[in-house]
Amino acid sequence: MPGYYDISDILMEDEAVSVVFHVGANGVGLLDPGTETNSVEKGAKIDLPFWLAHELCRRRAVSITIPSCFGQKMKKDVQADAACVDLGTRYPYFYEFGCKLFPLVGDKSIGPFLRHTFANRYKEMLSKSHTASLNAIPKFVLRLSKEEYQLFEAARSSMVEFKKWRVRDLGLMKTTIVGHKRKTDLH
Amino acid sequence: MYARRAAQLLQELSSCEEGQLPPYNGDKFDQVIRECEEHSRQFQSLIRDKDIETKNEDHYGSFIHHLSIIRNKRCLMAYMYKRAEVIQSYRWNVGRVLPREIQDKLNFSEQEYFKDYCGVIDSYMKDLDLDLTVDMVPPKDPYIRVRVLSEIGEVSLGDHAVSLTKDSFHFLRRTDAETFISQGLMEEFVE
Repeated sequence: MPGYYDISDILMEDEAVSVVFHVGANGVGLLDPGTETNSVEKGAKIDLPFWLAHELCRRRAVSITIPSCFGQKMKKDVQADAACVDLGTRYPYFYEFGCKLFPLVGDKSIGPFLRHTFANRYKEMLSKSHTASLNAIPKFVLRLSKEEYQLFEAARSSMVEFKKWRVRDLGLMKTTIVGHKRKTDLH
Repeated sequence: MYARRAAQLLQELSSCEEGQLPPYNGDKFDQVIRECEEHSRQFQSLIRDKDIETKNEDHYGSFIHHLSIIRNKRCLMAYMYKRAEVIQSYRWNVGRVLPREIQDKLNFSEQEYFKDYCGVIDSYMKDLDLDLTVDMVPPKDPYIRVRVLSEIGEVSLGDHAVSLTKDSFHFLRRTDAETFISQGLMEEFVE
């Protein structure tokens, strides 16, 4: 579980979710840009940051609507081609957010959906990260979520270490490789 | 309000490279503290004369303000904590003396923290009679070839004195050369 001081966990909890208030709340009019009084009405639909929505949902003051990143359109995109879905720009905290959202919302399909997406993207990411050039950033890296990017970096640095190990100086003399000229007898 | 500014502070910190710090953003830090005071004022006005057990609109409003204060606190604590971690790593990676560019990024209490941390490490190493900050990577060879980048002058290393003039080459013991290399005054000469 991420710690109290974990910065990426804090930033992840800043993601906006749409909620419906079951109760009214006074003195917090700034949350709802459409309100004239300094309060939120019961039944209002507002976008709140996840850290606030999470606590209010636990106390049954609001209910969270499933955000678009786990909706039907996203599911169709993943079915079509999981590796092409751009998580890096649209939903960089896709997996962490899904894991935290899952117990609060009644939709049981989010868990299997996350696993399915990850499994499909992993294959392509694995092969690309081991063969990617070390200087340029391949375009597909921009499509990775934060968690996938950490895996990518781990693979890349292990390739760097491997290459360094292969050419390490053992203090032995390097032999020149003599090419064999094979005379193939075609006639 | 509602911790958006605090999140911006953390964005600033996380967008920096690993082991680097942005300059200390005292203005934003103070703004977040003022926001907390505002939340606290609103909270006080909502729970005044009210029975805490009744769950009415004021209760939920005050609860939201309370959560905002806690969230701001968490953001500010994480900000300070991460900066403190990087400052500690400076002692190990850079050395006892920080270059000007790094010192400018720290505020006064962070500079004091660095001095105190160096003091603690030094007294610990004195007790052990061992310098822990050299040889961070296990060396293959006790001696190392170096090239001097800036003029250092006469230095006594061990039992003899060496004149470290600019662009001169020397064959020194690794432990002696490491302090100069980490300050950028020498570089390892690799054939």
